[in-house]
Parts: sequence; C-alpha cells; structure tokens
Amino acid sequence: MSDVEETNSHTGFDAIDHQPAYIYTPSGTNDDALERPTKRRKVARGRPSVLQPHESINSLVFEPLLGGLETVECVRERQDLFQKCWSETDARIQSILNEANEDTLAEVTAFVDGSGDINQEGDERVPASFIVTGPNIASQDLLFKQLSARLKKEINGPIVTLRSGDASNLKAVLKQLIRDATNQRSEDEELSLEQDGRKLLNYDLEILQGYVKNHGSQRVVVAFQDSEAFDTNLVVDLVTLFSSWMDRIPFTLLFGIATSVELFQERLPRAASRCLYGVRFDVEQTSSILERIFQSAVANSKASLRLGSELVASLMERQHDHVQSVQSFIVALKYAYMCHFYGNALSILTDASTSPQSLLKLIQPCHLEAIRMLPSFRKLIEWLVKSQQLDRARELLQDDTILVQEIEGALESKDGNILRLLRAFHMFASALSEPPSGIDLYMAIFEGALSNSDHLKRVLDSIKRMTPDDLVVFTKRIKGAIENGSYELDLEGWADEDDDLIGELRDVEIKAVGLSENSSDTEKPIRSSDAIHSKGLRTTVIAQRVQLSYEKSTITEAEKEFIGLIDHVSKLLEQYFTVENPKDLFLNELWLCDSADSFLDVFAPRPRAAIENALSAPHEYLTCDVGGSEEGLSSTYPTTAIVYQSYLEAGSLINMADLWTTFHEILSGNEGDEGDEREALMRFYRALADLKLVGMVKQSKKKADHLAKVAWKGL
Amino acid sequence: MASMFSLPTAVVLTSIVSQFPCREQQIRSLATLLAITGAPSRNIVLYGLEATGKSAITKAILQGLSAEPDKSLVNGDSDVPHDQLRYAVIKSAECITGRHLLEQAVGAVAKAVNWEGNGGRCENVAQLVVELGRMLEGWRALDDGATNRRIVLVFDGIDHQREAPPTLLPSLARLGEIIPNLTILYIITAPRPNFLHLTGVPHIHFPSYTKPELLQIISSTPPTPQLPGGAKETQETWSRFTSAVYDSLSKHSGRDILSFRSISLRLWPRFIKPILDGQLSSTPFSRLLVANRSLFQNETVLIPGIISEPPLAKSGAVVQGGNESKGKYQGIATQLPYYSRLLLVASYLASFNPPRLDILHFMKSASSKRRKKGGGTALSRSSNTKRRSISRKLLGPQAFVLERMLAIFHCIKEDADSRGRYRNANGNGNANERKRENGSADIQMAIATLASLRLLVKMGAQNAGDAMDGACRYRVAVGWEVVRGVARSVGVEAEDYLAD
Repeated sequence: MSDVEETNSHTGFDAIDHQPAYIYTPSGTNDDALERPTKRRKVARGRPSVLQPHESINSLVFEPLLGGLETVECVRERQDLFQKCWSETDARIQSILNEANEDTLAEVTAFVDGSGDINQEGDERVPASFIVTGPNIASQDLLFKQLSARLKKEINGPIVTLRSGDASNLKAVLKQLIRDATNQRSEDEELSLEQDGRKLLNYDLEILQGYVKNHGSQRVVVAFQDSEAFDTNLVVDLVTLFSSWMDRIPFTLLFGIATSVELFQERLPRAASRCLYGVRFDVEQTSSILERIFQSAVANSKASLRLGSELVASLMERQHDHVQSVQSFIVALKYAYMCHFYGNALSILTDASTSPQSLLKLIQPCHLEAIRMLPSFRKLIEWLVKSQQLDRARELLQDDTILVQEIEGALESKDGNILRLLRAFHMFASALSEPPSGIDLYMAIFEGALSNSDHLKRVLDSIKRMTPDDLVVFTKRIKGAIENGSYELDLEGWADEDDDLIGELRDVEIKAVGLSENSSDTEKPIRSSDAIHSKGLRTTVIAQRVQLSYEKSTITEAEKEFIGLIDHVSKLLEQYFTVENPKDLFLNELWLCDSADSFLDVFAPRPRAAIENALSAPHEYLTCDVGGSEEGLSSTYPTTAIVYQSYLEAGSLINMADLWTTFHEILSGNEGDEGDEREALMRFYRALADLKLVGMVKQSKKKADHLAKVAWKGL
Repeated sequence: MASMFSLPTAVVLTSIVSQFPCREQQIRSLATLLAITGAPSRNIVLYGLEATGKSAITKAILQGLSAEPDKSLVNGDSDVPHDQLRYAVIKSAECITGRHLLEQAVGAVAKAVNWEGNGGRCENVAQLVVELGRMLEGWRALDDGATNRRIVLVFDGIDHQREAPPTLLPSLARLGEIIPNLTILYIITAPRPNFLHLTGVPHIHFPSYTKPELLQIISSTPPTPQLPGGAKETQETWSRFTSAVYDSLSKHSGRDILSFRSISLRLWPRFIKPILDGQLSSTPFSRLLVANRSLFQNETVLIPGIISEPPLAKSGAVVQGGNESKGKYQGIATQLPYYSRLLLVASYLASFNPPRLDILHFMKSASSKRRKKGGGTALSRSSNTKRRSISRKLLGPQAFVLERMLAIFHCIKEDADSRGRYRNANGNGNANERKRENGSADIQMAIATLASLRLLVKMGAQNAGDAMDGACRYRVAVGWEVVRGVARSVGVEAEDYLAD
C-alpha cells in the first residue's frame, strides 16, 4: 500500500513545473503516446499509475559494484534476491495491515447496517460514526479504503469518501458526492439527470434521491476522511443539508477524526451538532500495529534481513518524536532492503534458502577481498590473534580456499545463530505476564546486551519473590513457549532441541508442585528468600504504642528446598539468555543492516538548515574560486552568499540602499578598481531574486524602499 | 350565488387549532389571507424565531385549504362552482444556489399543477416568470369545473438562502403583479424593514411561546417510560417535572419548544429512576426533586451531544461527565508525537504572549530572572496594568508569524526535560543529537500536520502563500486546558512563559 501511496502523492507534481522552458520531444510512435491522457478523477483504484516505471524483471536495474568487477550474474542475483525478499516481507506486512482494522471495520459496518435503530421515526438527526484514528493522517487513507470496500460488500447503497483536498465549496462537494454515488454501479445505464421532463442541476440531491429510489438502497454512506481539515462551514452546511434530506435519503455519515471527538464537537456550531447523532469508534493504535508489523517483518524467523539495534532505535525515535506512522516505518524498512541489496555486493550470500555450496560458486576473488575488509572479519582475526591461533589468522588473510571454508562454516551456522537469538526473544517475551515491548526487547537482544539489561534483572527479581504456585505457572509458560513456538514470529517449537532445559524445567515444576502440595497440607505457606527478608519487620500495637520487633525468621526445610529451586531456575535462565552479540558474529553484515546515519539523511532531511549553511559557508560546498575557507566576506563568494551575509547582520527591516552600498563596496573593494557598476547591479538583483525565491525576503509594506526579513538563521 | 367573502370552514380550522395549541390567532389570520374566498393576498410574510410553528402551521393550513373542495363536493351539488387551491413548498435550506432555488420552485409548481411537458432551464427570475406563467396558463385552461384557482408558493427560510442574488426578494414580491392568482408566502426569522421593497404586505408574527404555553404544549407529549402508578400519575408528575426543568434549565438557555422537549425527554428516565427502583414514590414531589437535584444543576445536558448516550443512563452519570473532560485532553497529549506537542505549546505561547515581551521570557541573558513568572520588572508591570487590565487569555489567540513560533519552539525545547521522549524513556540519551532538529523537514512536516488537524489555523486566504513560508501567519486553535496538559506531558510548565 505504501508504494502506491507514494506514487499517488506525487501525481500532482511534475518536474517540468519548475523549469523555465523545456524542449518537446515526441516519444516516437509508442502506443502510450497515442493514448489520450487519462483523466485524473476517473482513474480506477489499483490500476498501475502512469508514473510507475514499467519494470520488467528481466532488465537489470542494479549497478555492478566493487568498482565494476562484479559479474552480471551476481548483479542479477542481487536484484532477484531483493525482489524475492521484499515481496515476501511486503506480503506479510500487508496481511497484518489488512487484519489490523478488522475490529473497527466490523463495528462500523454493524453500526451502518443498523443505524436506523438508533433514530426514531421522524428524527432528523443524521446517524454518524466518529472513527478516532489518532494523529497519524497517513493511515486514514488505508482505513477508509478498507471501510468502503467492506461496506460496499455488505451494505446495499452507495458509499462516497470525501477528502478535504477536493472539497473546495458546497457545490463542488455535492457534485462529487452525486457523481461518485451514482457511478458506483457501472453496469447500469447512465442515470438520467431529468425528472418530470425537467433537467436537474448537477448538484441537486434529487438526483441522488432518484438513484436511491431506483435501486432501493438502504443507506447512503458519506465518509469524511480527514474531517478536521475540512472547512468547518462546509461541514456545517453539509450536515444541515443532509439532515434536511433525511426523510427522503437515508444518509449515514462517517467522520475520520485525528484528534478527539470532543475537540471536533467544540468546533461545530450547535446548529450542526444538533443534527448529528452517533457512536464513537477507536481504531487500533499505531504503536500496537507497529509492534505487530515489527514482529512479523523484522523479528520473524523467515525475514531474510534483520535490522540492527542502532537502526531500530533511530527509527523508533523518529516514530515517537516526529511522525507516528506505520507507513513511514514500512517505507524505511523497504529502504533498508533496497540499501542492502543495492549497495552491498556481499548480499548475494544473504539468501537463506539456497545451500551455501551453490552460493559459494558465485563468489569471485573480489568478493573475498571485500569480505576481508569487513569489520566482522577483523574481529575474527583479532580474536584469533588473541587466542594465539596465529597460523589460522594468517591462512585466512592469505589463502582464499581457507577463507572460503570459513565462509561456508559461517553461512551454515548463521541460521542457527539467528534462531538462537529469536528463541531467546520469544521465550523472554512469553515468560512474563507483562512482557516489555517487543521492540525494546529486540533491541536489547540484538545489541547483545540482554544478559545485563534491566529487563533480565527485572525477571530475575520477580522470580525471587515467587511462591511455589507462581513458579509452576512461570515454568509452564516457558515450557509452552518452547514447545509451541510462536505464530507471529513463524517459530516452530523447539522442544526436541532444548531437551536439557525442558528436562530441568520439568524437574523444577514437579518439585514445586510437590512443595506447594505439602504446604497446603501443613497449611504453612512457603516463602521465598526475598519474601522472608521483607517480612522480617513486625509491627505490634500494644496499649496504643507501636512496638517494632524483628522476627527471627526461621527457614524450614521446605523453604530451603524452594530457595534452592529458585536459584536453579535463575541460573538456568541467566545462562539461556546470555546470547552472543550478533555484531560479533563473523559475516553478520550479510543479514544485519545497521547504519542509522544514512537513514536519517534520507528520511529526515534538513532542507532549511542545508540552504542556510550553503549560503553562509559556501566554501564548504564549492572548491573552486571561492578563495579559501577564511571567515567573513570576500568578493570571490557567490553573490547570493555576500548579500546573505549582510542580510544576516541587518534587522527585521532592510534598507535597500544600504544593502546595495555594502554589496558594491565588497565587490569593488577586493578588485581594487571601480568595476562595472551595471554588472554589479545586475548581480545584486540576481542575488536578491535568489533570496526571494528561497523565501527569505519579501516586500515590506511599512516602508517603501525596505525589504522585510522573513527568515532568521538557525530556526 | 355564493357570497364574495366567506371564511374557510370551521371544521378545518378547529382541527388545526387543536393540533397546534396557543396559535389560534395566527392560524385564523393566515387562513383568511390564504383562502380564495377570504382576503387573498399576493405576498404574505410569516416571521418569528426558530421552533415557533411557522412551517408546520403553514403546511397544515395549506393542506386543509387545498383539500376543501372535495368536501364541498360531497355535501353540495356538483355544478356549484368550486375553488381550487394548490401549493408548493420550497425549502431554502435544500437549495444550494439562488438558481437552484428557482429550479426547485419550477419543479415544485409543476408537480403541484400536474404539468406535463418539459420545462426549460430557469436561470433567473425573468425565466421563472415565463415558466410559471406557462404552467399556470395551462392549469387554468384545464376544464374541471373550477372557477377560482389560486396557487400558493411557500419559500421557507428564504432569508438564509445561499448565494441569493440581491434582487431575488423584491423581484419575487412582484411576481404576483404579473401572474394572476399567485400568492407567495415568505417564512423568515426576522424581517428587515421593507425588505420586499413593497408596501402593504401583511406580516404575521409568530412570537416565542411563553412558559404556560410551553408547559401546555409539552403536556401533550407522553413521556416514556410510564410510571408504575398509571397514566394519571405519570401525567401529573410529568407536568410538574417539566415545570421544574423549565425553571432550572430551559429558562436561561433553551427556551424554544424543541430543545425544551428534548431536554425534558432526556432527563425524564433519570428523574424517575428512584420511583422505578422503588426508593421513592411520586407523591411528595419535592422529595423527588431534592433527590434528583443534581440533574437540574448539571448544565451539560444543554449542549447537544453528538455521541449517543448509552441506552439507559447509569447512576454515576454525573461523576462520569467529570472524568470525561479530564480524559479528552490527555488523549491528544499522548497521541501526538513529542515535537508536535512542543510545537503546539510554542504556538500557544506565540499566540498569547505579546511579541514585545518575548525578550523577557525567552532571551538567555545573564540575569537569572529569565524564568520569572508574570511579565516584566516591577516598573514595567505597573505601567502594564494601567494600560490594559483585560487578561490576555480572555482576549483570545492572536495571530503570530511562523518564524517567531519556531524561535520560541527552539527556546522551550531546551528547557523541556524530555519527559515524553523516546530516548529518555530508554535511558540512552545522546547530547550530540541536539542540532538535528534545526531546520529539519520533520519539524516542518509536524507544523503542516498540526495545521491540517486545525490545531493551528492559518490566517488570511487559504491558498495565499506556502504553509511553510516564514511570514505566514497562524493562530492557535486549542485552549489553555489542552495546552497545559500537553505541556506537562513534555515537561514544560507553560505558565512560566506566559505573560500575566
């Protein structure tokens, strides 16, 4: 969905718009050229947009890497791998997105279906459902598409979605509403705009009334997708109009609300809010959808590429601080895939499905050279040197065949290593009744920092406070996680591989059950070590005086046994959760993508800061004829930069004459001679025009010969 | 020969009068002015506030008058010439443009006189005259034994017509001079003097109902559910209850019959709940009133809710209302991203602080007075209060330049203790990241999002200038309550920066 949106959002934009002139080049006698340009509004949904490149799988769009040494097969392999991996991931994401709004869809459909029940006969209030989507406007599009598809299936009647962008005034909205509503049954004959021999105006709701009567529609659903962005007066007009027609056309309204229903209502005048009557629906929060997408697309055992903790942290930070949008996360994920397969020549080895042997056939000497440059290779060598295996290290560095063997080994163990991490992830998440957020946990694990993270400490502390019954539940949960695996992560149960742990846990469970049975027989509760300490202080009130005394806690045999059990479990878990840092593994670059900097540059650009910086320090950008990197002004700077400097020094109103004098002095001062004044003036004008184009100055209304300063630096 | 002047038959009128109590005088005048044998008038103006029965009574009378000939046929001999009255109602609320109104009028008249033929376009009043003339001519030519024919055009709410041409009303008023046997009835809220540019137009005023009238009307509405004591007890309690509702709530804010009725009906089930539960009986009414006094003190019922209430109000409904208002503002505070929240707070400050005090609040000067509450030093404050005593909060939000808001944003960003930030929550703060927000596209996007959510309102023309233009003027559209909650969620105490 995201990529369709991306292309759609640019349909109104054309690069030619900003060109002063362009050369018309007829594009040959293509079939496309003969076709009439498609009308924008009548384009059917889901049809490939014109702007989408007609990419054929066979043509190569990837560039050969490694200084052009890469063979065509490898490039093709990378491209195919990218197609395959991303389409798999994308399919998983889409299925989650489709499921995500399922509850809301069902509720809204039920409401629309039965909205006649709320209103009594003769009630002129329009039934409305307010769908609170949260401030993530980008997700509204998907939701409303799903809604209209769903409603079309289940409700007999037209469904029209209105967006604030195409709603300029009442007439235009009504025209669109009527056209969209009456066009929905394409097999029908063109609806006549006439009634009783009289031609109706195209914004007359009588057309809709006739349509409703002809088709016996139960409901006419009108959805305001981004209701906040609509002009309030327009909404009021529409609502009162609909309410006036309620006795003839069964309207039902849907409002997509990004802030809150109360704020929305405060904005409506009473005349309109009196005409509305409805129910509020909450959409699943972005964060929880995000969590699910993360689990299925990044943490999933079938995902071919994994994001490193640093990258995930920066993505999540951006999600939290700037935009909360599932779509932007998906885009970022796709970008990670693209970067990996496009820019990393070693990504041919990423594929998990083919055997390492067949992959190694593709490897060329240049690949091996690239592998020797990897940080993980360096780490391996350093480790070998440290452990005094100097021969091995030398062989790896010099002998290609040995390196290939090492690579083969690493590839074979790769899946096992990832699986180990994911199992730890799943077990941890399911062991607790209130697990930490999956994304946090993932980050801790992929940083290799789980063993001394707060998460683990919290778990171990909670174990210490457990009663035998709690312990039984806890071990059962862990066992369940191991045996059943996880559906979201596509993990199968791995009970047969972790026999030892299962066995140990089973022993603990049996013992704990025995202890708790004993304690219930003797009616003496078994306390854990922590509980004993915390209950040591006793308060007694005797004759209105408080006495504090310390209880000498005696530990019974059963308790001793129980403490032993708990220690055992803690040790087991600690051991299990001590996982290797994935970044220390050899060849982790093949499956782990972790470079946050390039991401921020791509997804969080700073256009304004860049322009300001370029103007104030052009020497950082231009190498030639700027004249060194000295501070201050020089006539060799680009003229815009010179004017910008004086602009920065001026107040909020800039005297043009002063500006020109300064400029002229700087230009002529360094050259020594008077120079051509006309030429200088021309350059001055151009510089000012540039500043105006960027939006930094504008004509001041206060003083005739002054400019108003609009932008301050550094904001 | 029937007399030239006779009033409409009493049967019709009495039924209408009983249907609409307290409106007998208006009904009689209007019937006289409409009836063919009465004193038919070319233009009639009905005026009065909302919910005073103008449209309903007009419709009822016209229905009665147009149906009259059938009755006279039954008891009289058929060759007595009878009158035929037809009417067409055009609701201005349903007409989008002035032209639409005219088209609607033509359509309605065509339907009223059973005109079969295709009409042309009707773009202005001149064409309306032609069309109407043609149709009425055709109608008059019909030979069905009627001698006197009259058509009544009702323009309901024409004073609120959208995109009406300025000459619409005067030209409509003169239609009757050209087309014979046409009565035009205007239903409006409050007529300007001489708005038809025609003298001698009869006006009928529909005054608002007084308290006894309201109570009389509402007593005919049976409340649901009924009391266990039967219809009589219900009626008695209902009338005393509605009187109490009027005195406590409707008198001051919802005097018209519609809102009075809806409030009474909404409060009724809660009011009689003690009786249905068996705790109280209906006879000492004062006791019932005291038990339910919170109902009459709570003014939230006066605001029409757009969210339907749960079927039967719970006992703790009043308490619930208090919680809701707290919850609604926390809602957006938690949903907006961190920087959007900061931007919203900055916008509020920019809107409510005068620009000349910005230096005091936001400059990082050496003096430690920066965070001082209230504006200015002792000297400036005294001069301040002299000049303007109205609190700035009460003056409403002022427009601000985007650039100023950004400056304030960068200032409070550094003071925010990053409570709501992601990095902080996970304990891996990084001081190096501070510069990333300057001039970032994400910040600009956040501003655009706030503007499209209408939390910020762009001033001036909608399409004038780019939304991100530094000179673009905005105004904040949320109140102090919201902003305080939002500010606290990011660890900014907005009061510290606010002038008095």
